[in-house]
Amino acid sequence: MNLRDHPDLLDQLAASHALGTLRGGARRRFETLARDNPGVRARALLWQECFASLTELQPADLPSPNVWKRIENQLAVLQAQALAARAPASDVPLARLRRALGLWRGAALAGALATVAAVAVGVRLDRQVDQSGVQLAQLRQQGEQLTAQLQKASYVEYVAVLQGDNTDASVLVTFDPVKRSLTLKRVGNYQEASDRSLELWALPVSGGPKSLGVMGEGPLARLTAAEGEVAPAPALAITLEPKGGVPPGSGPTGPVVFKGPLLKTTL
Amino acid sequence: MLTDHPDQSLIDLMQRIAAHDQDASAALRELYDQTSSRLYGVALRVTGNREWAEDALQDAYLNIWRIAGDYRASLSPPMAWLGVIVRSRALDFLRRRNSERVDRNQELDDFVQETVASEAVDPADAVSTSEQAFALRQCLSRLEPKQREVVSLAYLRDLSHGELAVQLKLPLGTVKTWIRRGIEQLRHCMQRFA
Repeated sequence: MNLRDHPDLLDQLAASHALGTLRGGARRRFETLARDNPGVRARALLWQECFASLTELQPADLPSPNVWKRIENQLAVLQAQALAARAPASDVPLARLRRALGLWRGAALAGALATVAAVAVGVRLDRQVDQSGVQLAQLRQQGEQLTAQLQKASYVEYVAVLQGDNTDASVLVTFDPVKRSLTLKRVGNYQEASDRSLELWALPVSGGPKSLGVMGEGPLARLTAAEGEVAPAPALAITLEPKGGVPPGSGPTGPVVFKGPLLKTTL
Repeated sequence: MLTDHPDQSLIDLMQRIAAHDQDASAALRELYDQTSSRLYGVALRVTGNREWAEDALQDAYLNIWRIAGDYRASLSPPMAWLGVIVRSRALDFLRRRNSERVDRNQELDDFVQETVASEAVDPADAVSTSEQAFALRQCLSRLEPKQREVVSLAYLRDLSHGELAVQLKLPLGTVKTWIRRGIEQLRHCMQRFA
């Protein structure tokens, strides 16, 4: 029997195919026919579109507000991965980082600051270009300090520049896996309210964020973390939490204030 | 006028997301605010479980982030396009969970039987839908509630006759008849909207 001579049967098959109830050999035969014949294909597509509308007809319901927070965190990871892929920085040599920071220190032009930082560590600093001279001076000073620190350090294995989400400030993070030491340095003038704390999170590829500790109010914070907690995460984020951070074992509850990719450096 | 079409704001948002620039995550947030309750409804119907539906919804929005740029080429109404993404994510999720957990079928059974038993499955919320969805709703409303539910579940959960029979504890012959007649009625009804 030639199906093309039986438009009613053909339509019934196209609808069953789109609904998903046409299975096995009958499904394969129909698909072969559709590939050969644009008219059959058109009917199949019409029915697929028709049943797709079923998704528009389901009763709405409110998801938990945590869903958006989880999406936001995962999005930070995706963006970090994209940035890391664009600047071939999965292994930024420390020398290059030093050079970048040296240039940063000497940068007379704000534009150069943004370009170099973006190239070297794959981070967008363009928003900071518009900052006041005071902040630039601050940045330079912080950059100098960081450079000095980096030069003193035996080596630095991991570096992250966490960008402000709604602020021009940022946080520089270095991690020494041997000393199990995380160093966080505030750049710019972000200061949380006195009843709040900033909490640092590793954002693993799968699973929820893992707390790495809570920052004090000072410009510099040191936390202890094992390599296994930090290294597998492609990105880090800092959220604004109640004073002292969230209870152990729970996920972030507040907004992401800073986030950025974690880059491995080699000597 | 094209710009006045209610779909246009969703289409604009998807273009902003596709740019993957600094403004893109704000656009995703707006899209989420406008669509998450309806898409969560889809995920809930597919998975039959709030926790899994939320996981599927999370996956779906991250996928939307990745492929928003493909929307334009699809020519589908935006809510249907988004709905298909959520359905497919939710199905992936069910299949993964299915292979991990054997007690799942029991929970799903209870859920399905509840929805089949309920008469309140007329999805005629007065929310804006595409013309196509409007037509489908008209045609579905002419089916008997049970028949409508079996057809809907076959699609939303990607179930075969046999799986539907097991999950709904109905004889296989009954399921086949309901589906065949359901499709036939839909075909005749949809022709009038074509």
